[in-house]
Amino acid sequence: MKTQVSEHSGRTHGPPNPPVPPAKSGGRKRHWSEPLRNNTAVLLLIVLVIAGSFLSDVFLTPRNLLNILWAVSLLGIVALGQTILLLTARFDMSVAGVVGLAGIVTVLAQINGFGLYSSIAFGLASGVLVGLCNGALVLATGANPFLVTLGVNLLIYSLALSLTESKTLTSTIPEFTVLGRGQLFGFLHYSVILFLALAMILEFALRRTILGRTIYVAGLNEVAGGLSGLRIQLTKMSAFVLCSTLAALTGIIMTSRTNSTVASAGFGMEFDSIIAAVLGGTSLFGGRGGTLRTIVGVAVLGVMNNLLVLLNVPSEAQQIAKGLVFLAVVLADSALRRS
Amino acid sequence: MKRLSAILEHHSAALLVFGLVIAFGSTTPGTFATGSNFENIARQISLDAPMVFGQMVVLIAGGIDISVGSTMAMAASLAIGLQPFGTPVAVLGALGFGLGIGVLNGLLVTRGKIVAFVATLGTMSLVRGLLLTYTGQTSLVGTDPAFTFWGNGQIGPVPVSFLVVLAVLAALYALLGHTRQGRNLYAIGGNSDAAFLGGVSVNKGLMLAFIISGVMAALSGVLVASRLNSASVQLGADAPLMSISAALIGGASLFGGKGSIVAAFFGILALGILNNGMNLLGVPTYTQIAVRALILIAIVVIDALATRLRRRELDNARIIE
Repeated sequence: MKTQVSEHSGRTHGPPNPPVPPAKSGGRKRHWSEPLRNNTAVLLLIVLVIAGSFLSDVFLTPRNLLNILWAVSLLGIVALGQTILLLTARFDMSVAGVVGLAGIVTVLAQINGFGLYSSIAFGLASGVLVGLCNGALVLATGANPFLVTLGVNLLIYSLALSLTESKTLTSTIPEFTVLGRGQLFGFLHYSVILFLALAMILEFALRRTILGRTIYVAGLNEVAGGLSGLRIQLTKMSAFVLCSTLAALTGIIMTSRTNSTVASAGFGMEFDSIIAAVLGGTSLFGGRGGTLRTIVGVAVLGVMNNLLVLLNVPSEAQQIAKGLVFLAVVLADSALRRS
Repeated sequence: MKRLSAILEHHSAALLVFGLVIAFGSTTPGTFATGSNFENIARQISLDAPMVFGQMVVLIAGGIDISVGSTMAMAASLAIGLQPFGTPVAVLGALGFGLGIGVLNGLLVTRGKIVAFVATLGTMSLVRGLLLTYTGQTSLVGTDPAFTFWGNGQIGPVPVSFLVVLAVLAALYALLGHTRQGRNLYAIGGNSDAAFLGGVSVNKGLMLAFIISGVMAALSGVLVASRLNSASVQLGADAPLMSISAALIGGASLFGGKGSIVAAFFGILALGILNNGMNLLGVPTYTQIAVRALILIAIVVIDALATRLRRRELDNARIIE
């Protein structure tokens, strides 16, 4: 992306300028770490896959790779929304609660006699509502988004508990499970297709639409963006709403997979989605990253977990690995940003 | 008028405690305002109080510590799990673990230049993993009956844990108010660039703050372990939110440079009385969770609005000059 821009500007301004050797003074001197900085996650993924193929016989089978994708696709959809919000330099810790709430709202709507599509619409609407609430609280007051959304998360959780009276609800419409369990050509789960398609659509929107470009500006320099006539507040609000809505979608798919709901369905996803996005190369400080990168970040997490399982590492240790990877990535992000 | 607003700002937690006592005292006659219930509250809050003190110190220095909950749970597990090596070893091991996490947090923030809450979010995840691995997701049960003295014993009518908290309170009060290192923390939190130019070692101050927070969280863990004579992975799940809420009620700011240890004590006391009162009134669990969430949201929003107002006043004063 960066190199494209500099080449392009070099070409347009090239002819009228005095001829300068492009290799030496044609633009900024590139730091040795620049290719590395842009592709750490891809490198990590390649290393993991190579290591995996040596360490386990079953790792590189198509069936196992599809399983990995299926396992991470739900987290992936949440991470896409989180990525968009991270680009505006904000977080959403309430996605965990929204995942639980949206499933519960959908199933409750079905229990109360609504049809398949209208019940899903109710579930998504609950996500939109939470997003609006998060956005309003954070943007109107300038309050710390991390703590506000953590508080909202707790509030949603208590709401979900009171809606279900701490019980597990079951869907009443049999076709509902197709969304979570159905497969294209008998091997590709719909949630995987949805995740990959959403990532591509969002990446396109980020690069080619005004709203998308404004999201980057909101994370980089919102004052300058506002002075240039961009609708920064509206953009940040839509990022919050999009993030919550994608979390709600995830909750609905998750419910359709298991055909039942619990309030704690999304526990841990708030943290994991941030790890996945940052792992993919989206900055915690806004303005840098993209949703295609998040596919790689999610894949790294998935492959890592899969390898640990295949190697019979106790599941508890996965948490340690996740924490270490997160700290390493954040440290690298901070070190490279300064260099 | 100015004096009134100053009182409101500096003693809001104490006023809140006073108001809550009157409210619950009048709505639950015969159960709330009794000696044994006050003893109960004292026992409850002394488990969390050290952690809140630690959070307060970090907030004063302009940081935040999300890892306190998992540090507390891990310290509790170590205080129980290391008992075969002798109880003193177990307690020292637990406190030492807290010290180690404090150093790690401090290094990540000062050397790694990572924003405090991101760094401590990472250590939180890491320590949670260590905890799951160490305990194997089972509860650990203590073997030394003498160890339970710290959490359950009492001297006269006063719980021992409460006396421990008062001792810690006095020590941190002296540190923050009456030593150069302590005063420096306010300067760092208020404006770290100005503090640096004024010759304050910002990195050393932040390191100290995170170490205090780590050790204090571990002390909370030791007290909890002693109180329950067991430890489980569920401990400390709501600790980050609780400790931050209590410190903010005690007048700390997420923007740093404000707060005191005594106010932090009133902050946790207010939360403790609120929980106790809601239990006595028979408020359902999920309503209690919702109340806690609303308190956190409200206090974070108020903090942001108040800081914005103060900055605007400062700007106006500058323009007039």
